[in-house]
Amino acid sequence: MPKQQELLMNLYAHFPDMLQDFQEHVKDQLIATVPREVLPAVVKYAVKQMGARFVITVATDMRPKTGDFRVSYVLAFDAEKKFLVLQSHVPPEDPTVPSVTPDVPAANWAEREAFDLMGISPVGHPDPRRLVLPDDFPKGVHPLRREFGYNDIFPREQNAPPRMPAPENTTVVPLGPFYPTLEEPAYFRLFLDGERVVGSDYRGFYNHRAIEKLGDSELNYNQIPFVAQQICGICGQVHSCAYVEAVENACGIDVPLRAKYIRSLLLELERIHSHLLWVGLAGHIIGFDTVLMQLWRIREPVMWLMERITGNRKHYSSNLVGGVRFDIDDGAKEDIRRVMKKVEEELKAVADAVAIDTTLMLRLKEKGILTEEDARAIAVVGPVARGSNVPIDARVDHPYAAYRELGVQIQVEDGCDNWARTMVRIRELFESIRLVRKALDDMPPGPVMATVDHELPSGRIGLCSVEAARGEAHHYVLTGDDNRPYRWRVRAPTYPNLQAVGVMIKGAELADVPIDIGSYDPCFSCTERVETLDINTKEIHVYSREELEEMCRLKTWKKE
Amino acid sequence: MFKAKLSEAVICFRAGRVTLKYPFEPVKVPPKFRGKIKFDARKCIACGGCANVCPSRCIVFEDIGEVTKITFYLDRCIQCARCYEVCPEDAIWPTEEFETATPDKSDLRSEMIQWSSTCQRCGRCFETDNAIDKFQSKRWRGRGPGEANKHGIFPIKPPIDFAQRMSLVRESEVDQ
Repeated sequence: MPKQQELLMNLYAHFPDMLQDFQEHVKDQLIATVPREVLPAVVKYAVKQMGARFVITVATDMRPKTGDFRVSYVLAFDAEKKFLVLQSHVPPEDPTVPSVTPDVPAANWAEREAFDLMGISPVGHPDPRRLVLPDDFPKGVHPLRREFGYNDIFPREQNAPPRMPAPENTTVVPLGPFYPTLEEPAYFRLFLDGERVVGSDYRGFYNHRAIEKLGDSELNYNQIPFVAQQICGICGQVHSCAYVEAVENACGIDVPLRAKYIRSLLLELERIHSHLLWVGLAGHIIGFDTVLMQLWRIREPVMWLMERITGNRKHYSSNLVGGVRFDIDDGAKEDIRRVMKKVEEELKAVADAVAIDTTLMLRLKEKGILTEEDARAIAVVGPVARGSNVPIDARVDHPYAAYRELGVQIQVEDGCDNWARTMVRIRELFESIRLVRKALDDMPPGPVMATVDHELPSGRIGLCSVEAARGEAHHYVLTGDDNRPYRWRVRAPTYPNLQAVGVMIKGAELADVPIDIGSYDPCFSCTERVETLDINTKEIHVYSREELEEMCRLKTWKKE
Repeated sequence: MFKAKLSEAVICFRAGRVTLKYPFEPVKVPPKFRGKIKFDARKCIACGGCANVCPSRCIVFEDIGEVTKITFYLDRCIQCARCYEVCPEDAIWPTEEFETATPDKSDLRSEMIQWSSTCQRCGRCFETDNAIDKFQSKRWRGRGPGEANKHGIFPIKPPIDFAQRMSLVRESEVDQ
């Protein structure tokens, strides 16, 4: 592999004798060990000089195995289609690493998270506040370390919230933790000078569910896909697919081509309903609810289609290590073609109308600017990056499932604003419909599950990036003994994108902040009660939780 | 501007309706739907395959001498139907029921007690084609009665005693 050699020679030439212990047993994935003192220099050189994109930091507690901690920096060379993992050993008596954040701002959250959860302090980090753990969590306890169980309970502690001090002469406006357009808990403190935002502070992770801890300690290889798909209510297929592909990469399992096509097909259908949802929500956020109603009406047949082919609207439970659990029959293919035809027609009408709607343009154009430079520095992913003229797409750069065979056209816009991100998503919808059709046409016959007749090897590293609707979801798996991974690290696409919000809303007006935040497509979920209106008597009856439960209970239990 | 609004109006007028009348009218579930699981005590051989693959620890086995007590915590079920997939005897399967909301979680729990002496040859009666699904994890079923032996389902443990644990954790420079 010449490209692989080239990358290595380049790194070798600049850091002679520093890179040791190469592992290349997985295609397109290089692993090297470097002393922790030179780690920032190597990461900086790779990012600044060689054009690498920072993906994530993985801190692993290897004390039961080798007696030390391990910190791995995952970098992606998108043009070369390679991943580079730089590992360092960290002795337990001095759990520190020199921080790379001053040179590579994209590593900001990742290093803070490594400290919160594993206790590896980034020395020289410009903003070492608490990120993931709740305010009342005791200091000095790092729950991902092996000595703590997944169900340990810690005594509460009174800690001051890790707030950024507001600049002088500014008003602080809290946005969240529960905000009407952002139903998920995220707490922004906006520093305002008049109507203009001059800075912001973010506190999140209120819903941290310790899924990685469960994966490390409790679940086995084939249980994790079902827990992984619950990471997100919209991109469940993305996370389960990224996890199983990471394990398959690590262990060298050959997945049948038909299974790969089915994964791609489900991923594209998921992208279609997610993007339709987003365009609708964008309309809702700026008060244009017609867009919401119409887009969600177009989306609903896609959800029914998913029900028809997988058994469920969401959480398809389709992936296992080695393949998929069900096949797509000819009847389902017909249904998919029929629904795609209808969606395409309706979408075209909406896209044509939206593209020339000046009301929308006034709210979206030149708002929420994220320049190409910032986008590259913060290493944003997905439509946010592509709207800022950064042509990255995991389907092309790090092909997984059947994308090598399908071939994807990257949709890029250079507007760098909310409008550009909207246009990227609308064009991707048409591209996804094309990919669904191509996957249906090209799908080869054959089995959908590989036979795994040997135990999965231990100590291997597998990486997989999957392009979710919101961007690249990255999974890192270090295989272990006892039929379960030793470490499973998930980086969801909103993780890097959220870090760009501070830059994006700086200088914006307060009224534009919701759509700016909305433009990177955070996940939404909500459960509403039912309200009925009798047209004849004009009488409104709101059903209570008890009444609805009673109706359900009667239906389910009377049959037993 | 005007043209955009006109075409948007046309879209709205031609739009159909996708809202279903549920819950006032029953909804038909799709053919591959995975609902609340049901089991048949007469077919079950208490091999534990279902408990081994269950991602949410909704099926828990306890061996009490010659009796095996199988508890189904359906309030935890994520309806993946893996149990149905691995069961060698078709003793467990998903139904079309999905309206399992209840104010009391214990409504969704059920128990099954099986007489099953240990197999004289290997101690287990479950085999799969897939090496990953074999019983490799040591803690896939509880070992006898008692809360301490029930694996993974009772997350409430007494708070950690910091007097003993403190030596393991360490204040770091960044935290101060």
